[in-house]
Amino acid sequence: MSPPEVYSLAQTSITSHAFNADRSEVAVSLNTKDVTIFAREGHEWKATETLSEHDKIITSIDWAPNSNRIVTSSQDRNAYVWQLSPDPQTGRMIWKPTLVLLRINRAATHVRWSPNEDKFAVASGARAIAICSFDPEGDWWVSRLLKKPIRSTVLSVDWHPNNVLLAAGSADMKARVLSAYIKDVDKKPSPTVWGEKLPFNTICGEYTSPTGGWVHAVGFSPSGDALAFASHDSCITVVYPGGPAAFTIKLTSLPLLTLTWTTENSLVAAGHDCQPIVFSGSEGGWELTGSLDDPHSNKSSGGSRPGAPAAGRLNSAAFNTFRNADSRGISSGPGSAAAPATESELFTVHQNTITSVRLYAGVPGNVTQVSTSGADGKLVVWDVNQVTPASATGLAGKMAGLRI
Amino acid sequence: MEVNFRKIDIDQYDEDVLLESELYEPDPRDPAQVISDAKQKAATVRTSLAQGDIAGALSIVLEDAPYGPNVEEAKNLTLQTLVSILNSTKATEISGIVKSLSPDTQDTLMKYLYKGMAMPGWGDVSGSVLLGWHEKLTEAAGTGCIVRAMTDRRLV
Repeated sequence: MSPPEVYSLAQTSITSHAFNADRSEVAVSLNTKDVTIFAREGHEWKATETLSEHDKIITSIDWAPNSNRIVTSSQDRNAYVWQLSPDPQTGRMIWKPTLVLLRINRAATHVRWSPNEDKFAVASGARAIAICSFDPEGDWWVSRLLKKPIRSTVLSVDWHPNNVLLAAGSADMKARVLSAYIKDVDKKPSPTVWGEKLPFNTICGEYTSPTGGWVHAVGFSPSGDALAFASHDSCITVVYPGGPAAFTIKLTSLPLLTLTWTTENSLVAAGHDCQPIVFSGSEGGWELTGSLDDPHSNKSSGGSRPGAPAAGRLNSAAFNTFRNADSRGISSGPGSAAAPATESELFTVHQNTITSVRLYAGVPGNVTQVSTSGADGKLVVWDVNQVTPASATGLAGKMAGLRI
Repeated sequence: MEVNFRKIDIDQYDEDVLLESELYEPDPRDPAQVISDAKQKAATVRTSLAQGDIAGALSIVLEDAPYGPNVEEAKNLTLQTLVSILNSTKATEISGIVKSLSPDTQDTLMKYLYKGMAMPGWGDVSGSVLLGWHEKLTEAAGTGCIVRAMTDRRLV
């Protein structure tokens, strides 16, 4: 049992983060048009390199563990694949960018390498997902677009372990499972619970968010037989197409933005509530287990809170300040002696929205640690087995029943 | 500054426009059926209220609440019925009642609270009563319930 490792990388928001294979380096987007690579030096992270080629804010980064290539997507509608190669003049190893022709006319929003690292998927605001594969003859990355039946911006993508199926969450309130089969790259996939014949752009599943929220995050379970998605109506849904069954948990807290499976029966999700929340279940049902964060023990000031019924933002000191000002006419403006700077601190480790949660240690199906990055500029590594029970954190999620 | 351009309906030039009706499942019931359901519920609620069964009355009125276009009359009647329940509840009982509701019912109640607050002075709507319920409902169902009342396109 170890406390979470907290690293403050920047004073600005971290939009996206991706570690290399041995976790000695991390590539982050600090809400700018550059990628910054940090290298681990003892207990510190030092910025070592900047990858500049995009014109607009970088929305997503993924680092392929085996081929050691980085792919980035940006609001400038482009994606670049970065590869370490020797500089012709100095012989020093540098990250060399290759432009990918996406053929989209809106921002690229999310990017992920396929498990075999021979393809990647780029989500976009052009109601399309670009599936990119390398063409050795032309010596470039070519893209094919998944378009139908997407009706709005695609916000996230996730690959099935078979390298063919792709899950996509979209602002038209739907999560979909589509085939991204490319003839020259993929072997004919064996049948899965999602279907048997899988030509490009086959729709294998379409699921609506329970009360009409954008689908922010999607994720296949390690086996690929289940799909989880989190939506802006503060719900998380797990779908078993074999059942068929779908379990929805309605949260009492703010919406989740990102999720990752840790085992076949558990996942970690995080978002506007600033803490990674653990869910567990099986084909029989799902429940909110607890939080990786312990809002009661993190801060020494935690004990001084009056009442403290719920974690998260509703209970923050800032909220109380405004409430006191409103209900009792107590103001703690700059003139008054009260309110030191620490009073607006949240009781969670992350001080702002968590933008990304990713596998850190372990293998898919048996993950031991996950990493999160947030709008507070922090990068945190959590032990997934160190769960504070839901009853102790004031979190609650109710099964809203089974939908078939 | 010229702002009239903001009123141009740019969607009419888009062949592939995303329509409001595509964003949610329509109510399978006929509008006439919806209004007769609402009237029937109003009567049942009066009986429940006479017996002092507030939680029961709330569950009845919030279940299958009318939503979508062409059912304005049923929506208004449902709001009126709901407001009559809210107004006749003792402040000390509210907390227990909202906790006993199902998550779906809590979400629907939140939608009506916001609808009521958007119509001050309409019928018997009282801001202080709605705010009292809103506080207790938020304690029971959290900020997630408010988020769902905002995101759901099935407007009541």
